[in-house]
Amino acid sequence: MGSTIPSPETLPPLFGKTRQALLALLYTHPDEPRLQEQLIQSAALGRGTVQRELEFLVRAGIARRTVQGRQVYFQANPDCPIYPELRSLIVKTAGVADVLRAALAPIAARIRAAFIYGSVARSEERRASDVDVMIIGEVTFAEASRALGSTQKTLAREVNPSVYPPAELRAKLAAKNHFLRTVIKGEKIFLIGDERELARLARK
Amino acid sequence: MSLQGWLENNWLVKHRTSAEEIASLLAIVERDLSNSQVAGLSPDWRLNIAYNAALQAAGAALAAAGFRAAREQHHYRTIQSLAFTLGWTAEKIGQLDNFRKKRNIGGYEIAGLVSEQEAGEMRELALALRDDVLAWLRKNHPKLLRR
Repeated sequence: MGSTIPSPETLPPLFGKTRQALLALLYTHPDEPRLQEQLIQSAALGRGTVQRELEFLVRAGIARRTVQGRQVYFQANPDCPIYPELRSLIVKTAGVADVLRAALAPIAARIRAAFIYGSVARSEERRASDVDVMIIGEVTFAEASRALGSTQKTLAREVNPSVYPPAELRAKLAAKNHFLRTVIKGEKIFLIGDERELARLARK
Repeated sequence: MSLQGWLENNWLVKHRTSAEEIASLLAIVERDLSNSQVAGLSPDWRLNIAYNAALQAAGAALAAAGFRAAREQHHYRTIQSLAFTLGWTAEKIGQLDNFRKKRNIGGYEIAGLVSEQEAGEMRELALALRDDVLAWLRKNHPKLLRR
């Protein structure tokens, strides 16, 4: 709201379509080896293009290739020197944030700020980490849960929304609510609004 | 699937209820609906109390139908059984189940997580469920409702 900083939604300016799709598939679930066939299907791109790109990512040390019997698996390479940076970039852009942002779109007009907090925002998530989403606005928990419900399948993890109307947020921050203070101070990935808007909401 | 199918999966156990049991379950529902608006309690706790009212109401309907949920995933099954007892829609059941998840986090992991807004919504849902259960009992199991 009133933000002049565009939030990064996709990666095209940095990477081509195939690389973007594969990085998103490999780096949003870094612990999970993906079958080559599965990657070709999920990326919905040509087999040859995907295979060439996967070869490139392996050569560059960004992905790891393992063979089990007749199956070829690919996985994000945690030993890659830029693994943490790349992972954070993917999560903030093509990964979880994109999926959640799209899901909130139908009720976004009544949301002043929304962001991911907790382990996913701190990039310390493990495979089973839930995604914690804080929503500040005039929406109900039922609406937010409904909007985000379908993303649990896409992301293969639980998405837990918390809904605070702006007035309640301010009152609780003023009353030094520990949970909210920690969340507001902590790492965030913004889905709607930005840090400035949040500061404004908290202060008003 | 049906409640009978659930029984075969060992998700439910057969249960013979009585008017006394239904009355005491409904008394818990009323107590918790009333306590869930006690001023001075945290929203975490009020959500928890209103959730318990809803759970007991769902349990009363299941008991009247001749079952209770097995120990494993007891809350989850009791909530999902509303599809077969009251004929609740997947959306309404999903709403209640979302509160179950929130209660797990707010009750056991993070203090102060639940907002007033959420606690209020849980109470509204519990009130609606109580009304639906009473109407359903009146229609389908009038003998279990002591006057």
